[in-house]
Amino acid sequence: MKAKVCSLVVLLLLLTLSVSVFAFDPETWVYVGGAGGPQTLDPAAAYDTASGEIIHYVYDNLFEYVGGDLDNIGPLLATEVPTVENGLMSEDGRTIRVPIRQGVKFHNGAELTAEDVKYSFLRGMLADPAGGPMWMFFEPLLGVQTMRDVIAMAGGPDDFVDISEVDPAILRKAYDLVDATMEVDGNDLIFHLANPYPPFINILTKGGSWASIVCKDWMIANGAWDGNPDTWPKWYDQALEEMTLYDKACGTGPFKLDTWDKSGAQVLLSRFDDYWRGPAALKNVVIKNIPEFATRLLMLRAGDADAIYVGQQDLPQVRTIPGVTVVEDLPQITNTVLFFSFTIPVEGNEDLVGSGKLDGNGIPSDFFADVNVRKAFAYAFDYEAYLNEVVLGAGQIPKGPFPQSLPYVNTEQEYFSHDLAKATEYFKQAFNGEVWEKGFKVGIVYNTGNDARKTALEILEFNIEQINPKFQVEVIGLEWATVLDKLRSSSLPVFVMGWLADFPDTHNFAVPFMHSTGTFAGYCGQGLIDLAKEQFDALIDAGIKATDPAEREKIYHELQRLYVEQAIAMPFMEATTHRVMRDWVQGFEYCPAYAANYDLYKISKVQQ
Amino acid sequence: MLTFIARRLLFLPVVLIGVTLLIFVAMSLLSPYQLVSTYIKSPEELKNQSLDDLVRKYGLDQPVHVRYINWVKNLLKGDLGYSVSANMHVAEAIAKRFPATLELALFAIIPVVLGGIWLGTISAKHYNKPLDHFSRVFAIVGWSLPDFVFGLIVLMIFYGVFGWFPPGRLSMWADSIVLTGDFVRYTGMNTVDALLNKRLDIFWDAVRHLIAPVITLSYLWWAYLLRITRSSMLEVMNKDYVRTARAKGLTERVVMNRHVRRNALIPVATVSGSMVLGLLGGVVIVETVFDYKGIGLLTATGAQQLDYTLVLGTTLFYGLLLVLVNLVVDVLYAIIDPRVRLE
Repeated sequence: MKAKVCSLVVLLLLLTLSVSVFAFDPETWVYVGGAGGPQTLDPAAAYDTASGEIIHYVYDNLFEYVGGDLDNIGPLLATEVPTVENGLMSEDGRTIRVPIRQGVKFHNGAELTAEDVKYSFLRGMLADPAGGPMWMFFEPLLGVQTMRDVIAMAGGPDDFVDISEVDPAILRKAYDLVDATMEVDGNDLIFHLANPYPPFINILTKGGSWASIVCKDWMIANGAWDGNPDTWPKWYDQALEEMTLYDKACGTGPFKLDTWDKSGAQVLLSRFDDYWRGPAALKNVVIKNIPEFATRLLMLRAGDADAIYVGQQDLPQVRTIPGVTVVEDLPQITNTVLFFSFTIPVEGNEDLVGSGKLDGNGIPSDFFADVNVRKAFAYAFDYEAYLNEVVLGAGQIPKGPFPQSLPYVNTEQEYFSHDLAKATEYFKQAFNGEVWEKGFKVGIVYNTGNDARKTALEILEFNIEQINPKFQVEVIGLEWATVLDKLRSSSLPVFVMGWLADFPDTHNFAVPFMHSTGTFAGYCGQGLIDLAKEQFDALIDAGIKATDPAEREKIYHELQRLYVEQAIAMPFMEATTHRVMRDWVQGFEYCPAYAANYDLYKISKVQQ
Repeated sequence: MLTFIARRLLFLPVVLIGVTLLIFVAMSLLSPYQLVSTYIKSPEELKNQSLDDLVRKYGLDQPVHVRYINWVKNLLKGDLGYSVSANMHVAEAIAKRFPATLELALFAIIPVVLGGIWLGTISAKHYNKPLDHFSRVFAIVGWSLPDFVFGLIVLMIFYGVFGWFPPGRLSMWADSIVLTGDFVRYTGMNTVDALLNKRLDIFWDAVRHLIAPVITLSYLWWAYLLRITRSSMLEVMNKDYVRTARAKGLTERVVMNRHVRRNALIPVATVSGSMVLGLLGGVVIVETVFDYKGIGLLTATGAQQLDYTLVLGTTLFYGLLLVLVNLVVDVLYAIIDPRVRLE
């Protein structure tokens, strides 16, 4: 009897607990991403897509890409897009006047002014957290990369450890230099650029979280820089968590930040009813991260998630689920590249370069400085097989260092293809025939956990080893920390990396890939730096200063040709992306320049 | 006994200094540019990053002893440092994540221990009979199944098919109340806080979210306890005093409960102690599958990202737990078996 009662109680309890009726809520949006949430919500520091996504919903920029079209920039918090034709941009492109929209409210009820706009950019530049995105303002406005460079321009040191070491008079001068780049004139903000910089408007456009507009008074009230020209060093290069907007926000965007629940890896937003374009259809937004795909998938099936992140390899599992919409082949401004190091240190790097000599058991330090070796590698790769078998057709084969969705790219540029005869020919010419005769042994590296990149290297390994039995290629997976360490000393002979655009302009790829001060020159050894100084730097500088589109096109075509001719590196994939959502999601609009997966202001939910 | 407890507690700082020193020594084997990977988590984040600036900013180029002394100084001020992987101070991260793990452990430990002992007792009582074989096979299947696989099976059945027990710690509606409403967080444990806030709806929701991970943990660990209990009971059942008890005419129930099971519980207590420790340390896979954000997942993520401030903080915390739980187990020995005297 007792046992029966117990069983009954347990059964009733289970029944009570298990009552779960899925209720369709048209006003709540739930997106479940994969691993990794936002790192900061401060527009001056955020430089990752997860942070950019939240900032996208909470703040507005001066401009936007209308309908997600990269060729159609329209006003947002500005009332007009400056052009030479409408008189808001000077002929030389160095003075840009932006009329600011009136009657726009921040989430705290304050009204937007041109002062807020200037403060937004000025504060970000003065704060300039290390590794942050503010170089995008320094480069066009002052022709430098960091606030440290500005301090050096003002006569200060560029190697100080603590800013308090620097003479306050110099810091004031540095402030004046930055301050002079922007001027408030009534309801307008005027930018004074150091040089013409055609993509400057793109930098200010939605998708650029760094150009989000904040409320000056709210910022000061919440402990941010007070606007005083002499106090800014207190807020210079703070740790992310010490910055005012790290986990707080007050923008003019369609959604307000309710909470960033860091321990629960989720961000809760709610509709801003006074949004200047009218309130969004969605009332509540939950953006959370669950690393386990199966859990995300079950949430999507159950209707607990409106959209989830699905990796390319898992797409076949969701394509056939009833009630789920998969939008594929969405273009991205990205490429995946196999890089060569032109000057490889040998000592302590024997696991990758073997003997360090061209004796069949290793490679010499300058192995990849020989263009024939680089071309041989480039012709040995099976681009089609990678595209079709590994990434399942989600992308296209590049034509050089610039993704083909960008302007000024020569889509007719002759590019490498899988051609073992040509690869053999180049290997025979390399090092005056010594490579062919003696053979080599090299370790090529991917960061562990990235299986697609591992497979790419295995394809290369297979093909190269087929050409000559004396060629030995070993695919090596290294932890990301070790990859970073070896990159710093350009110790990786061959490595794979991806690059994602900050703003949709060819310049954004030309500098990191080809300039002597660019990111990859630093990782590919002195040999590439010397080559870049000799052949690329002047062209890149001319490309960004040219205001005539025809002239820019000519320059970037030439850079693209040189890159392929010299086989500086081997871009092998321009991946497309996709979105997976329930079929009740309406108004989906995609823009390749946006960090946000969905433009939630335009999204509504209608039960099917 | 009090002297024993005091002596063990005095030993605590030595243990903690030892483990943290070990971690610092291990960290010293990494270069500053390996440590900077905490701040640049993937190749895609390399954009225009100055590795040297980051190394300088976070003091990663300082000698290891300087970093250790700084860390100890801050520790003495109650500051465990900031965790980049958790996006919050280490102490705050532990304070927020540990209650989730503790709650799961509290809900899991009862079915795990009682179920395991019960199955072990049944097996021993029906030694080499079909019931014994069945319960052993049942439990050993659980022990053999990878926790990841079994967790997914449970999730698929109870959430995917029936829609009963969803992943996470709370439903969206409850989360929004807990995170943004007037809900007061007293303990960080959703069930307890819900009762203290008089929110039965949130209490039931929290319980619903606990059931699937508890089922998973219970089934996975029953075999372990079953085997210990069963062998221990079989050993005790052959003792002279058990035969004497039977000869006195005591009922089988009394013999089993009073004379056999109680004496068989000492090894079970030892195992249960390590189980509690395991549960409190967090069960990474179960936390991952059920999106149950506990301290195990926190530590694993931190370790993967070389977030050494977090690793140090959680190690310190685990060290503390280890000493305390072992102390409790030692005290339990004395309670279970009066012959044991703690010196």
